[in-house]
Amino acid sequence: MEFTGIPQKTVTAREAGLVACTRCNRAWPLGTDVCRRCGKTLVSRDVFSLQKVWALWLVGLMCYVPANMYPMLRTQQLFTVDESTIIGGAVDLAHYGAFGIAAVILVASVVIPLGKFWAIAFLAVSVRSKGTFASGKRLLMYEIVEYIGRWSMIDIFVVAILSALVQLQGLASITPGPAAFFFALSVIFTMLSAQAFDPRMIWDAQSEDDKAFENV
Amino acid sequence: MSDIPPKVTIKPAQKKRVSGASFIWIIPLMALVVAFGVAWQSYNARGPVIVVNFADGAGIAAGETKLKYRDIVVGEVEEVSFSEGLAQVEAHIRLKKNIAPYVDASSVFWIVQPEVTAQGVSGLSTVLSGVYIEGSWDREIGDTATTFRGSDVAPLIKPGDGGLQIAFRTTSNGTLTDNAPIMFRGIQVGQIGRAQIARSGAFAITEGLIYEQHRHLINSSTRFWDTSGFSFSVGPSGAEIDFSSLATLLGGGITFDTFVSGGDDARDGEVFEVHPDKETARNSLFTVSEVEPLQMSVIFDENVSGLAVGAPVELNGFRIGSVDSLSGIVDFNQFGDSRVRLNVTVSIQPARLGLPGDVSADAALRLLQDRVANGLRARLASVSLLTGGLKVELLEVEDAPEARLVANGIDLPIMPTTKSETSGADAAATVEGVFTRINNLPIEELLNSAINAMNSADSLMSNADLQETPGDVRALLSDLSGIVTSDDVKNIPVALNATLTRVEALVAELEQQRIAETLGKTLTAASEAADAVTSSVAGVPELVEDIQTVAAKAADLEFDKLIEELTSLTSSAEALVSSPDTAQLPVALKGALDQLNATLRELREGGAVANVNQTLASARNAADSIAVSARDLPQMIDRLNAVFVQAGRTIEGYNKGDQLSRSAEGALRDIQQAAKALEKLARTIERNPNSLLLGR
Repeated sequence: MEFTGIPQKTVTAREAGLVACTRCNRAWPLGTDVCRRCGKTLVSRDVFSLQKVWALWLVGLMCYVPANMYPMLRTQQLFTVDESTIIGGAVDLAHYGAFGIAAVILVASVVIPLGKFWAIAFLAVSVRSKGTFASGKRLLMYEIVEYIGRWSMIDIFVVAILSALVQLQGLASITPGPAAFFFALSVIFTMLSAQAFDPRMIWDAQSEDDKAFENV
Repeated sequence: MSDIPPKVTIKPAQKKRVSGASFIWIIPLMALVVAFGVAWQSYNARGPVIVVNFADGAGIAAGETKLKYRDIVVGEVEEVSFSEGLAQVEAHIRLKKNIAPYVDASSVFWIVQPEVTAQGVSGLSTVLSGVYIEGSWDREIGDTATTFRGSDVAPLIKPGDGGLQIAFRTTSNGTLTDNAPIMFRGIQVGQIGRAQIARSGAFAITEGLIYEQHRHLINSSTRFWDTSGFSFSVGPSGAEIDFSSLATLLGGGITFDTFVSGGDDARDGEVFEVHPDKETARNSLFTVSEVEPLQMSVIFDENVSGLAVGAPVELNGFRIGSVDSLSGIVDFNQFGDSRVRLNVTVSIQPARLGLPGDVSADAALRLLQDRVANGLRARLASVSLLTGGLKVELLEVEDAPEARLVANGIDLPIMPTTKSETSGADAAATVEGVFTRINNLPIEELLNSAINAMNSADSLMSNADLQETPGDVRALLSDLSGIVTSDDVKNIPVALNATLTRVEALVAELEQQRIAETLGKTLTAASEAADAVTSSVAGVPELVEDIQTVAAKAADLEFDKLIEELTSLTSSAEALVSSPDTAQLPVALKGALDQLNATLRELREGGAVANVNQTLASARNAADSIAVSARDLPQMIDRLNAVFVQAGRTIEGYNKGDQLSRSAEGALRDIQQAAKALEKLARTIERNPNSLLLGR
């Protein structure tokens, strides 16, 4: 299949009377309940997919708010305690001239999560409405979101490593702030949300387009 | 793709849809519930915000500075701002909810910061951690308040703390040190707070706290005194420096003792006087049990020199108080001019007025107000003519202009005055003048001069040379007496007399010789003959030989030749005799010449030839005698001269009577030296007798 941007006539597996196992990719005739190869329950379409996406997306977004409001890192140096939020820390770094690191933090912690929220919401909306966006591009977007999802945890890794390394009792210590917990939750729910999305619906939307096309 | 499977109807499981959907929506619902729960809980847990006003920020920072109660954090400063008009710094403190009800109107707040005082170091932990605000409140819930006034220093008396809360007042000259400890037997049993000057300026007052466990030490008979600094005294037992502890030496302190038993328990708020020392404190116990004195102001127009702090205030001769302070006052509104008047603050002890019933300052004031309306006035009177000291005397004056003793509760009541006892002042002035004159006597200079003289005498006496002088003088005197008593000196006048006698005789003889000059002229020949002899002393032997030769020839030659030769001989002899040296010839020579002259005369008168030989023999003898005499002549002349010179000097010395003492002094000095030399010589000889023999 090529991304031509022009909707093409496609035949889905369901139209072909088949259902594919999502785990082992074995195709079964429609009506088969359980994959006889790997034992997974077979469904032609996950009817609750969008609900799950939206529910988890909502939780992820809820968690993202305190993740940005509360301090991410709690740095204790001798007698001063410094608490910085994600954006505050990036701004501080930019003030100190470390624009590169500030940009990395902003991209990894703000731009990407927000982009994911937007992308998931867009996908979830687009399978319902008759969008003009090419189905292939939607799939690509979905794959990118899925792929990038795990890398959003990089912030949490940094906090975890710093907290583990910098523990000089009394002199300096770094402990994760409450935002780290919420950020992790947000990433987790966003990933779950993305996974709950059934990409097969992208093609259903297109086939509906095709029908509309045929009707014309 | 030709084999298109048949259409399959999709069977949506309705039941499953509902259950699945509800299941997944639980998650966001739970999240919401948790979020709201947390939000509500945190809101619910928040305590109220109170506002504490401070004079300055002193390191308070929003979000950092904690409020502590007994060193436990009970709140945090949320915001620091200024009050309206920038008068104060407002710290908005979020309290913990469970503490908040106790923070009532009686609470106090202060900033704890590092402090180094003589009493020690406090708040050291805040050097690194920053300041914090300490609060104190009692353990009962009282009226709520949200705005408080904070202090920069810790209050002495904290709400809820036990302890006896009393106040201290200094005597009129006493001093108080802020935050000084109250010591008892070396143990701190309390502390005084920040001292303040009383409105009248006459004394300092401060609050004090006796810790709860030492409360029983204080009763109404307890007397306090100041132990700050040190006392130095010199007595029969030696010098003594006394101070109670290093801390009180540096930072001041007061201590107390209960000298007698039987006092009532002290109550909170009781005022104790801090005496300057222990003696005063002890003595104060035996005076009338004194109450708060009544203070009044007396303003005098006239000269008050002699009035001092502590001077008595007397009523009808009985001492009822003392002068607390003296100061100048200029009040145009009150007196109508800008003259400087003297404002004397007196304190009157109500206990001495014999008030019936209530003995207090107020009662005393009422009494005095009544008396002033009847003519009681204050005036200056002299205490003693000698010292010129003044006292304040209260007495009732008849026909006094109306005046009242007004007490408005703020300023001190002013006691009206009357004309002072001037005669006493005059007498005092006279006596003062006498004292001034006595004062002006140069006693110090006199003493200084005397001291200088004493010093000089002392140094002179202690001079080693002077100490040796008596010895020298004694030796000198002994030497002198030895010399004076020596036979030689005793014989000096005798020898002098003899010499003078001899000289007299000689002079007489010489005069006689001049009388016999006519006789001498007859012997011209003999003189000329003897001339040869005079030419030199050495020529005398030749002369003798010539005479012998002449005598020998005379024995042989004819008589006329003999006479001729004899004539030349006698002329020579004559010349010898007439020479200046011969003029002083001794008697022996003259005698010989006389004999010779007589012989020659006999010869010239044509005496017997038979006598010639005898004559010649005599002449030879005479010539021999002359020769001998002539040989000794120069020495004798020298001696005679020396004697004359000596005698002349001696006589001269006696003549110059005014110079006698000086000469005698010189002589004594010479004698002293001579004596010393002799002494030395004698010692030398004693040591080394050989030196006399060997000349060394």
